[in-house]
Amino acid sequence: MRLLSPILILLAALLPRMEANESLEFFEKEIRPVLAEKCYSCHAADAKKLKGGLQLDHREHLLAGGETGPAITPGDVEASLLIESIRYGNEDLQMPPKEKLSSEIVAKFEQWIANGAPWPEEPVPQRGEKKEESFDLQKRFEQHWSWRPVTNPDFPKIENTNWPETGPDHFILAGIEEAGLRPAPPAEKNAWLRRVYFDLIGLPPTVAQLESFLADETPEAFSRVVDELLASPHFGEKWARHWMDLVRYAETYGHEFDYPIAGAHEYRDYLIRAFNADVPYDLFVKEHIAGDLIENPRRHPTEKFNESILGTGFWYFHEATHAPTDVLANEADIMDNQIDVFGKSFLGLTVSCARCHDHKFDAISTADYYAMTAYLHGSARQEMPLDVGRVRETTREKLEGLRREADQMLSDPGADATALPSDDGEVWEDFSGNTLPEGWTTTGYAFAPTGEKSGIRFEEDYPRSRPGTVDSGLFGKEQVGILRSPTFTIESNQIHILAKGQGAKVRLIIDNYQMARFNALLFRGTHDEKLDTKGEFQWKSLAGNINKYVGHKAYLEFIDPGEGTLILDEIRFSGSPPRIEEGEKDLSTTPLPEKAKELVAEGASLAASLPAPRYAVAMAEGTPEKAHVYVRGSPRSLGEVVPPRTLEALGGRTGDRLFLAEEITRPSNPLTSRVLVNRIWHHLFGTGLVPTVDDFGPMGRPASHPELLDWLASDLVANGWSIKSTIRQLVLSSTYRQSSSPHPDLSPETLAEADPSNTLLSRMPVKRLTGEAIRDFILAVSGRLDPKQYGPSIPTHRTPFMTGRGGKASGPVDGAGRRSVYGAIYRNFLSPFMLTFDVPSPFGPKGRRSVSNVPAQALVLMNDPFVAEQSQIWAKRLLAEAPNEEARLTRLFEMALSRKPTEQEKNRVQSFLASQTENSPLETWTSLVHVAINKKEFIFIP
Amino acid sequence: MHCRNFQDRPYSRRDLLKGCGMGFGSVALQALLAEQSRAAISNPLAPKTPHFAPRAKNVIFLYMDGGPSHVDTFDYKPLLSKYNGQDPREVIGELAPTQFDNVGKVLQSQWEFKQRGESGNWVSDLFPHIARKEVIDEIAFVKSMTSKFSEHTFANYFLHTGSPFQGRPSMGAWTGYGLGSENENLPGFVVLNGGLIPPGGLDCFGSGFLPAAYQGSVFLPKSQPIANIHPREKTSEQQQEKLNLLRDLDVATLDARLPDPQVEAAIQNYETAFRMQTAVPDLMDLTGESDTVKKMYGLEADFKNTQTFGLQCLLARRLVQRGVRFIELTCPGGNGDRWDQHNKLVEGHNKNCQTVDQPIAALITDLKRLGMLESTLVVWAGEFGRTPFAQGGDGRDHNPFGFTVWMAGGGTKGGASVGETDEWGYKAVRDRYEIHDLHATMLHLLGVEHTKSTFRFSGRDMRLTDVHGHVMKEILA
Repeated sequence: MRLLSPILILLAALLPRMEANESLEFFEKEIRPVLAEKCYSCHAADAKKLKGGLQLDHREHLLAGGETGPAITPGDVEASLLIESIRYGNEDLQMPPKEKLSSEIVAKFEQWIANGAPWPEEPVPQRGEKKEESFDLQKRFEQHWSWRPVTNPDFPKIENTNWPETGPDHFILAGIEEAGLRPAPPAEKNAWLRRVYFDLIGLPPTVAQLESFLADETPEAFSRVVDELLASPHFGEKWARHWMDLVRYAETYGHEFDYPIAGAHEYRDYLIRAFNADVPYDLFVKEHIAGDLIENPRRHPTEKFNESILGTGFWYFHEATHAPTDVLANEADIMDNQIDVFGKSFLGLTVSCARCHDHKFDAISTADYYAMTAYLHGSARQEMPLDVGRVRETTREKLEGLRREADQMLSDPGADATALPSDDGEVWEDFSGNTLPEGWTTTGYAFAPTGEKSGIRFEEDYPRSRPGTVDSGLFGKEQVGILRSPTFTIESNQIHILAKGQGAKVRLIIDNYQMARFNALLFRGTHDEKLDTKGEFQWKSLAGNINKYVGHKAYLEFIDPGEGTLILDEIRFSGSPPRIEEGEKDLSTTPLPEKAKELVAEGASLAASLPAPRYAVAMAEGTPEKAHVYVRGSPRSLGEVVPPRTLEALGGRTGDRLFLAEEITRPSNPLTSRVLVNRIWHHLFGTGLVPTVDDFGPMGRPASHPELLDWLASDLVANGWSIKSTIRQLVLSSTYRQSSSPHPDLSPETLAEADPSNTLLSRMPVKRLTGEAIRDFILAVSGRLDPKQYGPSIPTHRTPFMTGRGGKASGPVDGAGRRSVYGAIYRNFLSPFMLTFDVPSPFGPKGRRSVSNVPAQALVLMNDPFVAEQSQIWAKRLLAEAPNEEARLTRLFEMALSRKPTEQEKNRVQSFLASQTENSPLETWTSLVHVAINKKEFIFIP
Repeated sequence: MHCRNFQDRPYSRRDLLKGCGMGFGSVALQALLAEQSRAAISNPLAPKTPHFAPRAKNVIFLYMDGGPSHVDTFDYKPLLSKYNGQDPREVIGELAPTQFDNVGKVLQSQWEFKQRGESGNWVSDLFPHIARKEVIDEIAFVKSMTSKFSEHTFANYFLHTGSPFQGRPSMGAWTGYGLGSENENLPGFVVLNGGLIPPGGLDCFGSGFLPAAYQGSVFLPKSQPIANIHPREKTSEQQQEKLNLLRDLDVATLDARLPDPQVEAAIQNYETAFRMQTAVPDLMDLTGESDTVKKMYGLEADFKNTQTFGLQCLLARRLVQRGVRFIELTCPGGNGDRWDQHNKLVEGHNKNCQTVDQPIAALITDLKRLGMLESTLVVWAGEFGRTPFAQGGDGRDHNPFGFTVWMAGGGTKGGASVGETDEWGYKAVRDRYEIHDLHATMLHLLGVEHTKSTFRFSGRDMRLTDVHGHVMKEILA
C-alpha cells in the first residue's frame, strides 16, 4: 500500500475550476513568462543548443517530450515529469538546473497541469537547421601540437659554439642567446657533485667520494661519476619512486578498513630492478600493459621468475571499498582510475575526462574511453605465484616425463565412474575432453585436464586420476595454481560444484569485485569458499547473496594454494540444490602396478621439495569482451558497443592487450617518447619542458622548447629507449652544469624582464629535496642507513595522532634504517614526515609533486623524534671519527653540505660552541648537527 | 623571555633575514604592524578578499560521524508509530538497497518529540539542551539533505570534499584557499579530534591538489595537541641559541649559494614555527576561562565523553577568537561505534546525544553571549541519516536519501526549517538538497562564490562543488 501524500489530497480539494478564458489568462500570466525566462535558453526552437531533446515552447512539444519521455500529462500532476523536475525531488531530474523555482511558482504549475495544461492556439515553433557545435575529433587531432609526429630537428644556430657539451645544450643556448641572456658560469665542482648525486641516486656523496672527485682533474672526472651513479644499485631506488607516484603505488586499499594489497612490494622491487637494468622503456611500458601476454618474458636475474608480468601489477593499486551497494558503479569507478593512470602515465592524456561525455577539449571520444574499458572487462586480477628459481616449471616438466612413463604401465586404464546424467540442462561445464574447455585459463603449474583416460597422479593416497576432470594434483600436492572460468552472466541463485578437494578455494568474482575476501558483507557465499570434501567427490554449492547479482557478469576462480589439491568434475547452475546421485563410485582407486607405485612415490617426493609460494599482484587475460558506452557515465544507461581498441587519434585499431601495448610503444606514436623524456627533464631540471607533465592535451601547457623535446624523443628511440642514456646526456650537459646564480653580467632587472621564471634555463634552479631524500640523507650521514635492498616493507611508525580504523602495527621510528622507498605505504596511515614534505597521497597519477613551503616542515625538522634521534647518532659518529673541534666542524660541513665551512661560518659556530659551557660535548654536537639538518642548504640543492 | 642576540629592528623582509637582529621568540611591535604587507608577499594563508561581503568569518563544523538518525532527533514522523512493526516493503513500497541488506520492520522512534521554542521546531528528548528556547531558535534546519552514497567512506569523502574519492581537498582547505587565514601562528584549518577519525582517514581533512598549506591540522584536546609542537631542548634559551645560530648560518649563504625566494620563505617559516610553539600551548591553556563557562560546556559532567566534547567545543570557540577560519570537531569514541547504530539504537544514540548535546548548546549560547554567533557559522551534519525501518531488530541502516542537517549563526535564519522528507522520513520529497548545496551555502555565507573559487588541476578548473551546487537561500537570514 502506498500512502497518498496529504499535500496532494489537499491540492485536489482546493483546486478551483476555471473557465477557458480564465485559464488561458492564467497560463499567459503565470506560466508562459516563467517558461520563457527560466527554460527557453535550453528548451525552445531558438535555443543555442537544445538540451535533452525537449522543447517547451508549445503544448505539442510538451506532450511529445524529450529524451526522458513526455513532459506533461494534462490533468495528472503526479505523472508529469515537468512537475517532478521543478519540485527538485528527483536527484537526476532537477530543473531549472541553476536554481529551484519558489514553491509558489511550483504550485502554479501544478494548478495549470491539473487544469489540463491549457495553451492558446498558435503555430508550432520548429527548430531551424542551425547546426549544433559538435565534437570533431579529426579537427582537434589536426589542431593540437602533441598529436603531430615527432621530428628530428637539426641543432639551431648558436653563437657561442664552445659552450655545448651534449645535444640539448644547443637548443637551450639558442633560447638564451635569442633572449639576449647568457648562461650562468659552471657551478663549483662540489655543488655539481652534490646535485648529481641527489638527482641520480637520491643520496649525498660521502666525504671520500667528494675528495676523490675534487682531486680528479681529468676531463673524464664528470662522466666517471655519472657512470658510477648510473651503475649504482641506488639509482633504481631513486627513479622507481618517481614511477610509483604515477601508478599511485600503495600497500593498502584505503577506505574504511584500509585492507592490505598483498604482495604489492614485489611490484616496487620490479621497478627498482627495471630501472637499474635500464630495461628499454618501450619494453617497460609493454610489460605494464600486457606483461602477462609477452611470449618470452624477461626473467629475474637470479631468481629466474617471470619478471615481465610483474609490470601489470600497476593496474591494481587503486583504492577499493568493501560492500559497495552498487557493484557495477563501483567497477566503473575503479576502471576510471585505472584508465586515468594509464592515460596520463604513458601518454600524458586525460583520457578519463571522456567518461561521461566526449572530451571537452582533446581529440578523445567517449567511445575511446569505453574501448579502454573493454580491455579491463576482458582481464582478470590475479594473485600470481612467483616461480622462484623456475623450480615449479621444471618440477612439472620432470613429473610430466615420469607420468608418461608410468601411464604406459597401466594395463587397465581405470574406467571412470559412471558419467553423471546431464539431462536437465543445468550442467554448465563437465570438463570432458582432452584439453581445458574453451575459455578456461590457468596460472601456475597445478591445474591440468586429466583427459578422457585415467592416468596416474603424484599423490600416494590417491594415485589415479579421474577422467573428465580438471585436477590440480596431477603433479603433486605442492604445486600452486589458479583456474579461471570464462566470464558468464549469472542466471540462477546457486552454483553447484562437484569436486574432490582439500585446502582449495573457489571465488565467484562478480563485476571484477575483489574485496569480498576481506569482508563478505553483501557478497556472502561468493568468496574464498572452502572446497574441502573429506576425501571424496561431493557437491558444494555457492549460494548466499548470489541471488542479488542475477544478470551481472562473473567468473569463477579456483585456487589451489599448494597445501592440497582440487579435482573438479562438474559445475551446474540452478535455483535449487542438485540431486544427490547414488552410485557415483570412484573407481580411480584401483591398485597400481608396483613399478608405477614407485614412480608415484618418486614424483610425490619431488613435488614435496617445492618451496612455499610467494605472490605478486598481476593481470591475467580474461574472456575477451566488447564494452558498452555508459551514457553520461552511468552503468545503467547503455549506449553503443565498442571493441577493445586503441584511441582513434592513435589509429583506433582493434586488437588484444598485447597489441594495444605494441601500438602505444610504436615510435610513430608521438606521445609515449615525448612524455617520457619530458618526465626525465622534469626530475633533473625541476620543471618539464612541458610543465604539465601528465597533460599534453590542450588544457596542458605547451612546450617551452618544442624542438628540444622532439630531439630528445627521437634520440631516446634511436638509443633503444634507454632511460639511462637520456639521463646521462642531460646531466653531462653544460646546461645542467651551470651554477644556480645567474651570469654576473646580467642584472636582476634584465633577468626579470627577459625570463622571470627561468624558463630558458640561463641558470640551474634551486631544488628542494623530496621527503624521501631528506630522510635518506639524514640516515646516510648519521651512519644508520641500512643499504639492504628489496623485500617486504617496513611498517610505518604510528604517532598518537594516527588513529582510525584498519590501523596496522607500528614500525620503528627510524624505519629500521632502510631507505624510504622501502617504507610501507598504508593509504589511511601515511607517514606524516613524508606528507609534510609533499610525498603524495596515492589516489591518482602524480608526475609532478607540489613543492610546498610551510611552517610544519620547520616543526618536523626542529622537533620530530626521528630527527632528534639521528642527530645524536650522527654527533656520536663525529665525535668518534674526528679528533678535534676544527676537524669535526669541517667534517660536519662536508657531510651535510659537501663543502668546507667559510671563515665567517667557523667563527659563528665557534662562538656558539664557546657558549655551551653547561652542556656535554655530545649534547653540544648533537645541537650543532641538528642545526646543520635545519640549515636551508641541507634540503635546498643549488 | 630572554634572547641574547635580540635587537629591535624594523621588519622589512630582506633586513629581517639579513640582520641577526630579529631574534627567535620575540614578537616585535613592528612585526605585528608589518604583518599584513609581509604576508602578502608569499604566504598562501595571507587573508584574501572575498567575492562579496561575508556574513560569516569562521566555520565550526560539528561532524556527526556515522550518520545520526534524523527520525529520532529532529525529523518527527508520527506515521512510524502508526505502522510500527509492519513490513516496510508493504507499507512504504519498494526499498533501495541498504548497506547491510538486513531490512527489518518499520521502527518507531523511542523518544518523545515536542515542538520547542518560538519557532516550534520539533526536537526529541534526545537533545534537552539544544531544545532550550535560547538555543533552538538560533538553529535553521535542512530536513531534506541527501547524499549519493550508502558507504561510510564514500559518503565521508563526499561530505568533506564534494567527491567520493580519496585525495580531494576538504571544505576547510577550500575555505583557506578562498579566504586565507587571520592568524599566522595557527593553521587556517584545525580538526579537533575527539577520538574518532572517520572511515576514509585523515584524507577527509586533506588539501588534495591544493597546496599543503591548506590541509587540516589535527589537534587532540590534550596538553600536546599536535605532533612536534614541543621543543626537545632542555630549555627555551637552548632552542633560541640554536635557532639564532641557524638563522645566521642561513642568512650568510642566502645570496652566495641559494639565491632563491623559496629559501627566504623557508627561513621565515622558522619564525612562524617558533611562534606556533607558544601559540598552541596558549590555546590549550584554559586558566583564563571562568568556572561558569567551563561548567556550561560540560567540563565537569559525569559522562566522560561530554567532558571531551565540551573541551572540543570550548577550544573551537577559542580558535575562532584567534582567527582560525575553519574548525571541525570529530566525535569521541566509545559510544557504541560513532552514530552508526546498526543495532542497539537506543543505547548508542543516548550516549552520542549525551556526549554532544550540552556542549553544543553551550557553544551556541557562549558565541551569542560574546557577540560572535553572528559571524560564526555552526554546522551540524553527518554523512547520511538512517532508515525509518529497522536493521535487524533494534538498529537502523544507512540512509542517504533524506536526512537532517542544521546550521546556526553566521548569517543563517534562526528558527527556520526547510525541506521535507516523505511521511516516513525515508526520502527527501520537497526542496531536496544535496551536499553540494550545503557546500555552496557555506562558501556563500563566507563571501565566496562557489562557482568562482576554482583551482586548475588535471586539466580542469576544480571546485568544491564540482559542477553542482545551489545556495540554499531559504535559510539565509
